[in-house]
Amino acid sequence: MSDVAVVRVHAAAAAALALSSLVTLVAFGWPFVFQPGNGFEGTSHSTDAPWFFVLILPLLAAIVLAELNAGGIDAKAIALLGMLSSVGGAMRALSPGVAGLEPSFAIIMLGGRVFGRGFGFVLGCLTLFVGALITGGVGPWLPFQMMAAGWVGFASGSLPRMTGRLEVLALAVLGFFLGLFYGLLMNLWFWPFGVYGDGLSFVPGADALANATNYGRYYLTTSVVWDLGRGVFTFLLILVAGRPLLRALRRVSRRAAFGVPVRFEP
Amino acid sequence: MRPHHRITHPRALHPGAWWLWALGLAAAASRTANPVPLVLIIAVTWFVVSARRGDTPWAASYALFFRLALIVIAIHLVFQTLLSGSTQGTTVLFSLPEIPVPDSFGIQLGGDVTLEALLTAFYVALQLAAIFCCIGAANALGSARQLLRYVPAALYEIGIACVIALTFAPQLAGDARRVRDAARLRGGNRGRVRRLGRLAMPMLEGALERSVELAAAMDSRGYGRTTTTDPRARRTTSLLVVAGSLGTCVGVYGLLAGTADSWLGLPMLLVGAALGVLGIASGGRRTGRTRYRPDPWALPELLVVASGLAAAALMFWQVRVDPGVLVLSSSTAVPPVPLLACLGIALALLPAVLAPPLPIAPARVAR
Repeated sequence: MSDVAVVRVHAAAAAALALSSLVTLVAFGWPFVFQPGNGFEGTSHSTDAPWFFVLILPLLAAIVLAELNAGGIDAKAIALLGMLSSVGGAMRALSPGVAGLEPSFAIIMLGGRVFGRGFGFVLGCLTLFVGALITGGVGPWLPFQMMAAGWVGFASGSLPRMTGRLEVLALAVLGFFLGLFYGLLMNLWFWPFGVYGDGLSFVPGADALANATNYGRYYLTTSVVWDLGRGVFTFLLILVAGRPLLRALRRVSRRAAFGVPVRFEP
Repeated sequence: MRPHHRITHPRALHPGAWWLWALGLAAAASRTANPVPLVLIIAVTWFVVSARRGDTPWAASYALFFRLALIVIAIHLVFQTLLSGSTQGTTVLFSLPEIPVPDSFGIQLGGDVTLEALLTAFYVALQLAAIFCCIGAANALGSARQLLRYVPAALYEIGIACVIALTFAPQLAGDARRVRDAARLRGGNRGRVRRLGRLAMPMLEGALERSVELAAAMDSRGYGRTTTTDPRARRTTSLLVVAGSLGTCVGVYGLLAGTADSWLGLPMLLVGAALGVLGIASGGRRTGRTRYRPDPWALPELLVVASGLAAAALMFWQVRVDPGVLVLSSSTAVPPVPLLACLGIALALLPAVLAPPLPIAPARVAR
């Protein structure tokens, strides 16, 4: 758990978050969910599934953000969210995933760590959104990226309470795996749309195992290098710069005095 | 007739209209694998963007997306060439030396490259490229940055955070210059990594410091304060939102489990989505804010949206009437011309004249 919960995740927001995360996971993993023989070839919807997800995910992201928003975000949290996501978004604009160098990941993770998991989720979503706005790259992939980056912030906010070196090390290790998984998921959303040759492409109607092996081959041949690069870079960045960054963020958290009740005395 | 109803009155079109137009074209592109309508769609987006693009910084994003589309096509062709296998087609174009890979790996490196395989990969990539061009046109013509003014009221605070982020991101460059100048004045030159750290930390500290000041300024001016919250309305919103996401979940399950025709599939998904929209709408009532000088939604907007939707509608009609012309019987066949679909795509060309011209003088500063 983090020190403060700047954006509280109340029951309804938690439910909305869990359900939309489930839908998002299915949106990523639908090529492995289809099984031939349960009456799907008869309907024309098997080819429509990805388009449905592209339409439904923006709505779900909006729902989750609105529900987290309704928990009460005060001006301090708004300003902090804006600043951190502008830093992260500018970093994304400067290095748009070149060789997996994404320093914005570290900002999202450390922000989620210090200001709580709800804040981490919103920060992840906003960082990706602002990065896309700055580069002018808004597209159907954005909701997928936003949800995945939101999970990154949420996960680092949910780590158990630790101190000192151990905390930095735990965050760095988490960053490595999240960097790796992020790439795995992000490939998955456009993989079924393309044709990359035999043994690498999505085969509609084939069973889940065959498609999983095809995807595994695709992943190993194309993107594992980038994702390893991203994971290792995040690991090193948090290991090296984690302590000063955490100190800076905690200092702001103290100065802003989140969670202190406001009382007006005559 | 008020001036903003005339298509000749210079003004910026509502960005939402451009996005709906592009969505219609993208929906049309998603329904066909025939290269004729796909190339037409790319040409239409190119033409409209060149006719109605402003000189805003985001107007360059069409070129960016077009390059991305070319990269997609190139990647598809390279992959198909390297990993062609021998399952498709008989027309061998050329042969690459085969690299032995253990059979258990399941792929074949090198070997004969057939025309059929290359064409199939090219057509699939062309569909993606057409959709990319539609998105690029939307980004270039109606910036998502301007759309930010129209975030639902339920997302008001998060919208403010976005605006703050976009306002302060350019200032980061100035910050970086100042910090670097100061470091240069102090002297000392210790390695690139260390210098980067000395640049990044003060920048982040400065941004954080500024956020505290900004929060104080916002607080004192009453920003970020919601009007009175009624617990009952709050509970209704939560109920709607949770029911909506539950409905979407069940709908997706029904869709994937193959019961798409029963109530569990698409209808449930639609009901869930409708409940979610209702939840967002009812959550937006708590803020009670009005919009400052909203962009007009007048006749030109309606015409532009209608032309985009016409492209989609005629494409879907073509799917219903004669779906055979939208896919190729074999990849080497000469692609047929689907008349209805092409007519729709030609209609989508009209915004090049129907959208009002942009004001010449920088009279209107886009936010």
